Amino acid sequence: MVTLRPITPLTTDYLESLGFEWHTDRDETPYIADSLVSITEAEAEAYYEAGNELYDMFIEAGEYVIENNLFHEIGIPFNLVEVIKESWENDVHWHLYGRFDLAGGIDGKPIKLLEFNADTPTALFETAIVQWAMLKRNHMEESAQFNGVYEALLENFKRLVTLQEDVSTFEERYEGWKFLFTSIRGNSEEENTVRLLQHIASEVGYETEFAYIDEVEFSGEEGIFYHDEQYELWFKLIPWEDIALEESDLAMLLTQIIKNQKAIIFNPAYTLLFQSKGILKILWNLYPNHPLLLETSDRPLEGQMCVAKPVFGREGESVRILDENGNTIEGGEGDYDNHKMIYQAYTKLPTDEEGAHYQAGLFFAYESCGVGFRKGGKILDNMSKFVGHVVD
Amino acid sequence: MKYMKTLSMAATTGLATLLATGLTGCGQKPAEETTQPQAKGAFVIIEETAPGKYKIKDEFPADETRIVLKELNGTERVLTKEEMDKLVKEEAAKIDDGTSPLVQENPPQASEGMGLGSVLLSSIAGAMIGSWIGNKLFGNQNYQNNRKANYKSPSTYQRSMKSFNKPRKSATTKRSGFFGNKKSTSSRSGGFFGG
Repeated sequence: MVTLRPITPLTTDYLESLGFEWHTDRDETPYIADSLVSITEAEAEAYYEAGNELYDMFIEAGEYVIENNLFHEIGIPFNLVEVIKESWENDVHWHLYGRFDLAGGIDGKPIKLLEFNADTPTALFETAIVQWAMLKRNHMEESAQFNGVYEALLENFKRLVTLQEDVSTFEERYEGWKFLFTSIRGNSEEENTVRLLQHIASEVGYETEFAYIDEVEFSGEEGIFYHDEQYELWFKLIPWEDIALEESDLAMLLTQIIKNQKAIIFNPAYTLLFQSKGILKILWNLYPNHPLLLETSDRPLEGQMCVAKPVFGREGESVRILDENGNTIEGGEGDYDNHKMIYQAYTKLPTDEEGAHYQAGLFFAYESCGVGFRKGGKILDNMSKFVGHVVD
Repeated sequence: MKYMKTLSMAATTGLATLLATGLTGCGQKPAEETTQPQAKGAFVIIEETAPGKYKIKDEFPADETRIVLKELNGTERVLTKEEMDKLVKEEAAKIDDGTSPLVQENPPQASEGMGLGSVLLSSIAGAMIGSWIGNKLFGNQNYQNNRKANYKSPSTYQRSMKSFNKPRKSATTKRSGFFGNKKSTSSRSGGFFGG
């Protein structure tokens, strides 16, 4: 059973004053749960170690995909292959941050990787800011959290320039390169996630600006511009596969911009390799029976329950749970039904006394740096709730 | 492990500021208009660099003016309207009698920072609050030179100047308008990439 500690919730007014506007779900229920998951110090340590180990494994798997030209096998759009290879080759294309979704880790259950949101991870604001605010609101200033997401990002932003663990040379090496932050117009969750990152980059000392994607100008020869100002660094909270499939001209321009070294784009194109659930099968092949992995195949697993997931699905869409005979027992049709699917061994998520399922979101910025939880049904979808935590 | 900590330990970065004042520039909902509204105020972070000496750490346009003061002992607080008015008034008196370092030609120890009132008036926010001081300050060349020194680094000053004076011309050889008709596909109030 998941151990919960009830707390006084944050008011919507306060959340909005923070810039956190997506506090209420479409059924009018609060998106932020009014309790905290209680975890032990040892559990927090285990999450930390697991994220670091998994990241090294993802690097190996990415290298394997590139060396063996397995882009098609894991569902990567052909028009991104060149920019992925280009970004993989050079350290300047530094991975800013990602989020591992993990089963287990609490309630005596082993940690298992569900997937790695390496390209466009959200739940950043909830994890980095809101769950600290919950401690503050409840006068729990002396209670610990495994949550250094803000400062880990602060440090990793500096590494985009220093390109090494040591960030002390950032100020002498930063030559005023301008940093543009971009989201798609009309979505406050995405916009304010991006603005939070911009806020942190500004604190680091970058010259920053925000623009919606439709306002940004691109030239393969000249680079990335907004209001006639050139930006050498660009963060976009827009999935690479959406760029490839919906704006293929933009995919081509970005490839040229990277090849001509006119800008550096975050997260780099190679993070799409990690984001593709197709890589979960590669990981299982490279590390069979690894304790952090679930068996994954490109066809239903014989004789065991498994979960069918589209390689680039979002929000639990088109995810189905299959029984031992391959019959669907949970989940239905969705937007990604025609996509390439992978099949991952089913693992039961920890539950509370009301039967809600809990999944950990472990943030990674150069190293594991903080955790938050989501709760919902067996398949976590866009109606799942965010739950903060406390280390007891 | 380095990232396991309490709130009081975590409050050494801008996180504490954010919890106190929110995400700057995020007060407004994503708007449909294509022109940026002119900033009505400024968000300023002033840092105490030595006892009684201050520098501007950062400054950007915002809907309303807020001054966050980071003191040497690590505390952070937002200056009240009364405090700001008082500081500006006191500094105005010093400008009048010539004792304000802002209007002196080579103010002593200016590189270490100035008093809070002087630093406040160097910021854009101070210029907005103290607009009634008018030309006796803004027309003063010493003031124009000295205020730059009150920013923590030249790039902080440049960034502040740029963020308040944006050029607006359109280029012709570049492509733009991508995802211009993209509708949010998420059914929550927000999207959930990677979810």
